[in-house]
Amino acid sequence: MKKKFIAMLLAATMVFSLAGCGDKPNNDNQGGGSTPASDTTPADNNGGQGEATPEPAADEVEKPSEITILVDGTVFTEANGREQFIAKLQELTGIEKINVIQPDHDAYYDNVGQIIAGGDWPDVMILSSTYYSGYAAEGVLWDMTEAWENSELRQRQIAYDGAGVVEGMYIDGVLYGMPAARGNGCVTYVKQAWIDQYNGGKVPTNYAEYSEMCANFVANGKYAVSAAGFVGGEAPYINYLPEFYQDAYPSFYQKEDGTWADGFTEDSMKDALQRMADAYAAGWIDPTTLTNGTKDCRNKFFSDEFGVFTYWAGTWATNLKNGLANNGVDSELVALSPIAEVGTYLDRIPPVWCISSTCKNPEGVFKYFIEPMQDGGEVQFLWTYGVEGVHWSTAAETLYEGTEQEKVYEEGQFHGLDNLETPGSQYTKAHIDPALALVDLANDPADESRASENLASSTLFAQNSRLAVLVPTTDEMSQYNGDLTTLKNSLIAKVVMGEMSIDDAYAQFEADGGAKWSQMIVDSLNNR
Amino acid sequence: MKNSKKQKPVKSNKSLGARINRYKGFYIMFLPVFVFAIIFCYLPMLGIRYAFTNYNGIKTPSFTAFANFKKMFDMPGFWSAFTNTLQISIIKLVLTTFIAVVVSIFLNEIFNLRFKKVVQTIIYLPHFLSWVVTASLFSLILAPTAQGLVNSFLVSIGVVDSSKMIYFLGSSKWWRGAYYIINIWKETGWQTVIFMATLAGLNTELYEAASIDGAGRWGKMYYITFPALKNTILTVLILNLAKVMNLFESAFVLQNDAVLDTANVLETYIYYQSFNSGAIPNYGYTTAVGLFKSLVGCVLVLVCNHLSKKVREGRGIV
Repeated sequence: MKKKFIAMLLAATMVFSLAGCGDKPNNDNQGGGSTPASDTTPADNNGGQGEATPEPAADEVEKPSEITILVDGTVFTEANGREQFIAKLQELTGIEKINVIQPDHDAYYDNVGQIIAGGDWPDVMILSSTYYSGYAAEGVLWDMTEAWENSELRQRQIAYDGAGVVEGMYIDGVLYGMPAARGNGCVTYVKQAWIDQYNGGKVPTNYAEYSEMCANFVANGKYAVSAAGFVGGEAPYINYLPEFYQDAYPSFYQKEDGTWADGFTEDSMKDALQRMADAYAAGWIDPTTLTNGTKDCRNKFFSDEFGVFTYWAGTWATNLKNGLANNGVDSELVALSPIAEVGTYLDRIPPVWCISSTCKNPEGVFKYFIEPMQDGGEVQFLWTYGVEGVHWSTAAETLYEGTEQEKVYEEGQFHGLDNLETPGSQYTKAHIDPALALVDLANDPADESRASENLASSTLFAQNSRLAVLVPTTDEMSQYNGDLTTLKNSLIAKVVMGEMSIDDAYAQFEADGGAKWSQMIVDSLNNR
Repeated sequence: MKNSKKQKPVKSNKSLGARINRYKGFYIMFLPVFVFAIIFCYLPMLGIRYAFTNYNGIKTPSFTAFANFKKMFDMPGFWSAFTNTLQISIIKLVLTTFIAVVVSIFLNEIFNLRFKKVVQTIIYLPHFLSWVVTASLFSLILAPTAQGLVNSFLVSIGVVDSSKMIYFLGSSKWWRGAYYIINIWKETGWQTVIFMATLAGLNTELYEAASIDGAGRWGKMYYITFPALKNTILTVLILNLAKVMNLFESAFVLQNDAVLDTANVLETYIYYQSFNSGAIPNYGYTTAVGLFKSLVGCVLVLVCNHLSKKVREGRGIV
């Protein structure tokens, strides 16, 4: 009897636990904001070809009472005061309920894929460029072209930043997502002390001078440049070694005449490979570049192992300077203007806020959720710095009292509060990096507190950069670009490290099918 | 002595219903396991059907019959990954098992218990390091710079010129050797556990008897220890042989663009197909590769079972 009772108990426990596993994710999606894909039709998406209808007046657009947003870790997480942030956002936007689905940041796109495959699409989601173009091609995203083109947001961006970033997010004349900020990119930093000591104080302006500088650094027993790999893992791929790539691009890009090409198959890429191979053989490039992570590079830079580092503009200029100072190394850095052969640095394609095509009231979501994010006022401030009393404060107080990092603030002085999740560090920004904003933020406290090197590198980058090309998705790309990218990256590494000649590399590219796949993808892009 | 006669099961006269009723307690105990297996092991297998479709996770999958398999067999990258998987896994398995046996025998010969425990603890520890940490550690140790421990040593003894240090993890020629050594360092200690357990169960009287018969240390090892370990070695080898297709983490964290021709294995190949395409991947294709991998793994299990029956006198492992 006892045995039977235990058996019954075990069975019941398992049944209940399994029943628990079957619950749907708790996204509280019962409001009027969104509906499952199965019982709605995608929004009327004219693909940008039809006639534009005038944007309804603001009071004609119904404000959604409830929306569901799918966000990554760039929005405050639960442990970082998400509840207070959303409450404040609801208060400012007037949207009664904003439901948040926020998977782990590292597994965000796994979860996005599962949610989209499941059919229960959120109203709004943050997407990277790959998913943006892929989901746009599959009809997952709402066409926000008209809403954007007739919006006050566009006027605000034009007035401040020229709206070029958003223009770069169009796919075949249609806009499906709104960036909240620029994607940012890398500028080349050179240690001033090295320039003075080894290069006669001369800052290079073209490749000949850059080469001379590298040679001078190496002649003094150190290598000149380091990077996390010879080619990046995401667009724009070349941003860690721009002086060597120059006009070459190892992936697909759109020419001035509008046709698509694979830069890997062009002579400019062969020239770039030759430059990198020569530089590697001459010891200009860190011998462990292939296996470096970005953290390895930073640590080597801080310990003065090399002098030229192409890394993120803006906040990282300050971080690099502080890292050097903390290691007792001269922290003065020169942010190089792009050398003549490079012309412009590349701005990374920013993640975008998209509205799903199953959203019941996309105009309302755009008007009352997407647009205010860059209103230049209270809502943008909230997205930039968070909630007063939770993430920032202007009260007189002392942080980290009695410790080495003690900071005293006077009444009225803006400052980030101690991080809720990782005590000991202060909040510096929320979702929008103030240095990368597309709309001027009124009374931005960063204007006063921003370090000079941060501002200088940001300004230099903004004035000397162009947006990386957003490549649309095609079936051929889905089918072959995985193998193609692996093959290209492998050949680039082998050529640069001297294991293979450029001719042999391109012969293998042909023999392994790379040239064929490349052409198929180019054709598919040109024949869309 | 061989027992060739198999005992026939006794057929019960009772009806199936009566037998179920009699053992209903056991059936109820089995029920949770059954439900668990159905939900978590068998229902997910329905995903196999995507191997015969083009599916990007959004649109309804379109049936393509064997097109994904045809593409797979046409891809040089797939065949490279397939042969790499078999070669790397099997060599790794044989090497680590062999060294684990040798280390176990040596450990068994240590009479100072405290010293033995210390040695065991030291060699077990690497097993508990994550592969990411291990990869970082060996990237430093094997770096082709003055900071790299191995290259510095080779330079100091004159084997390598300081201007031509060896990039162990960045060269196709050296990568596999480095990979095997790292695996031996990390996993050998842990593998000795099972052999040490076998040795601990050995009757010490056998050794005493051998001593009386005049056997020395090598003699005892040859005539007692090795035969005692034989079945365990075979079991470990055979069980692990069935898992040779499952190789991801260690290869993934140690490989890089320059060594993919020798280091890319099937699971990393699937990973790159999914996350390296710059587009929404065709899950149909990656499912096809995964299915092929599972089929090869399944065949290996059956072969292993067949081998184990031969070796273990009719008794299979599964």
